[in-house]
Amino acid sequence: METFYLLMNGIGTALVPFNLALLIFGCLIGLFVGAMPGLGSVNGVAILIPITFIVPPTAAIIFLAAVYYGAMYGGAISSIMLGIPGASTAVATVFDGRPLAQKGEAITGLTAAAVGSFVGGTVSVILFTLFAPPLAKVALAFNAPETFALMVMAFATFVGLGGDDIPKTCFSILIGLVLSTIGLDLISGKPRLIFFDIPGFLHGVNFLVLAIGIYGIGEMLWTLETTKGAVKISSISFTFKDVVLSVKKLKGTMMAMTIGSFLGFFVGILPAAGATPAALMAYGITKQLSKNSAEFGKGAVAGVVAPECANNSASTGSMLPMLTLGIPGSPTTAILLGGMILWGLTPGPLLFTQEPEFVWGLIGSLYIANFFALILNVALIPAFIMVLRVPFAILAPVIFVLCVTGGYAPTQSIHDVWLMLLFGVAGYILRKLDYPVAPAVLSIVLGPLAEKAMRQSLIISDGSFNIFLDFTIKPIAATIMYIALIFLFLPLINILKNQLFPKKA
Amino acid sequence: MKLTTRNAEIFVAVILALCSIGLMIKAAQNSITWTIEDNMGAGFMPFWLSLGMLICTIITIFKWVIRKSPQSNNNEPFIDPEANKYVYVTILSLIGLILGTAYVGIYISLIFFLFFYLKNFSEKSNLFISVFSIATPIVTFCFFEWLLKITLPQGISEPLFYPIYELMY
Repeated sequence: METFYLLMNGIGTALVPFNLALLIFGCLIGLFVGAMPGLGSVNGVAILIPITFIVPPTAAIIFLAAVYYGAMYGGAISSIMLGIPGASTAVATVFDGRPLAQKGEAITGLTAAAVGSFVGGTVSVILFTLFAPPLAKVALAFNAPETFALMVMAFATFVGLGGDDIPKTCFSILIGLVLSTIGLDLISGKPRLIFFDIPGFLHGVNFLVLAIGIYGIGEMLWTLETTKGAVKISSISFTFKDVVLSVKKLKGTMMAMTIGSFLGFFVGILPAAGATPAALMAYGITKQLSKNSAEFGKGAVAGVVAPECANNSASTGSMLPMLTLGIPGSPTTAILLGGMILWGLTPGPLLFTQEPEFVWGLIGSLYIANFFALILNVALIPAFIMVLRVPFAILAPVIFVLCVTGGYAPTQSIHDVWLMLLFGVAGYILRKLDYPVAPAVLSIVLGPLAEKAMRQSLIISDGSFNIFLDFTIKPIAATIMYIALIFLFLPLINILKNQLFPKKA
Repeated sequence: MKLTTRNAEIFVAVILALCSIGLMIKAAQNSITWTIEDNMGAGFMPFWLSLGMLICTIITIFKWVIRKSPQSNNNEPFIDPEANKYVYVTILSLIGLILGTAYVGIYISLIFFLFFYLKNFSEKSNLFISVFSIATPIVTFCFFEWLLKITLPQGISEPLFYPIYELMY
């Protein structure tokens, strides 16, 4: 009852006209920043932190959290409309969002993303409200072995992301992992794979460079070849009825919503994981468990819903360790944490008792921000679909410009722009030869996390792999590891079964 | 040799196999061993992962030899001859854009890139193409430099922007 009372107070704080105006403004800015390739919530929040010094801390956190939230919604827009991930968290949305738009179902894709984000956001805020302190303890129980086991589970789901050609899928996973090892070795500090002593490789390969290259430039080259530059301008129209019809298409996505919301929240609360791995894992697992897994990658609505639920859910989840333990769950929450310290607040267990107005104002604002972000998203769908009416001859160079600026912005290095072009051309050629490219993108994201967790674990265990497999040593890690093995062998068994006993037509 | 999909499959697989070997050699410049005392060498992960890549490409080559994969049986041209122009011109113009970005700066190279691209692939008037080619870099500048405070590469054209920065700050 006390929680309910505190929550109502928090919602009341968020609904104060000044705070509400900041919240709506923050959502709008977030939508825009999230939709710009190469920029994400982390850029938006970092740039806007100085503005918050002129308002009280509660209003400041409401504003920045709204930017964070808006960016999570916005990332899907360019993923669906242009095929370029607006933010790292929206990489998985491209896999099915873009094919949906290409099939003339952009409204369905955008609605699925908006509704998925809303559901994921709402579920996670409810979990946050009810279980914040115990969940923070669960997050603390997740150390290196458990994190590695979770990463193995994610990799196991990737095998199902590729086509039937397992060697090509494995190659894609492995090349992503190798690319993720470029740069300085985390443990010894030694440089690895610094080709031709080019200093640009020292900071590693930013996965956004790979994603924009493959899905931006590679996709455009593919489109230019298949259409010979004569892409038909979509005459897609928009009415409120279209949105209602699109919402009806979400009926069969309950499993995707559940997996995305709960998995996203759980991955979000783990320190240093964040929304990007959450979205990728949710996509992989949903595809594995779906009855229509063959539809994934070709415009499955569940393929948009799952990652969008997960990234929004994870963004809320990542605030939990930030508030309760003072540990950021993602790069954006690390900046928010810095902001809290600058505003004179001390994140940690005492924050809930010492600054209830601040904490519950933030939690209340998440409910409201979620609602307004949904409304803004749906209301702006006509503006988004106007992109599809732009003649392709004009849209194509604009997308290339976005790719170049998007590839440059994260690290501000021209070296990354060259790499992006290389990945784009390579991705185009490999895709033509039926090499699945999605597993490479997923591997480069999770590779560093997995390597770090594995090496830390093996240092703890004196090199014994039992730390991952023995229930008596690490029960959580062992449980996840065995589930991962099931995920790994399921598609292999299915493929073998189909090859040995082909279905009769 | 005509570049059919079948030829491209083996050509790319061999290139990837060579790349995998190259990666293994490069990774072996660091320690690739793993002992309990010293834990993993810095080259351990990239070396063994590259070996995995090599094995995968060898399987692909083997499947090509026994004509097991769909690509190994496809004698269609790898890139549609009628679409060659679009693919090659786009790649070359992007190389030009990035080279130009490094030397004369992104804003100036964007003007040339957009003008060249639109002139070649669109049927718009010269006036439209000119206005669009100049307006896009201006919008890009306002967004990145003024709104986000992210400086994009300006190369030798950097002094041209000093008066604008003085106005902005």
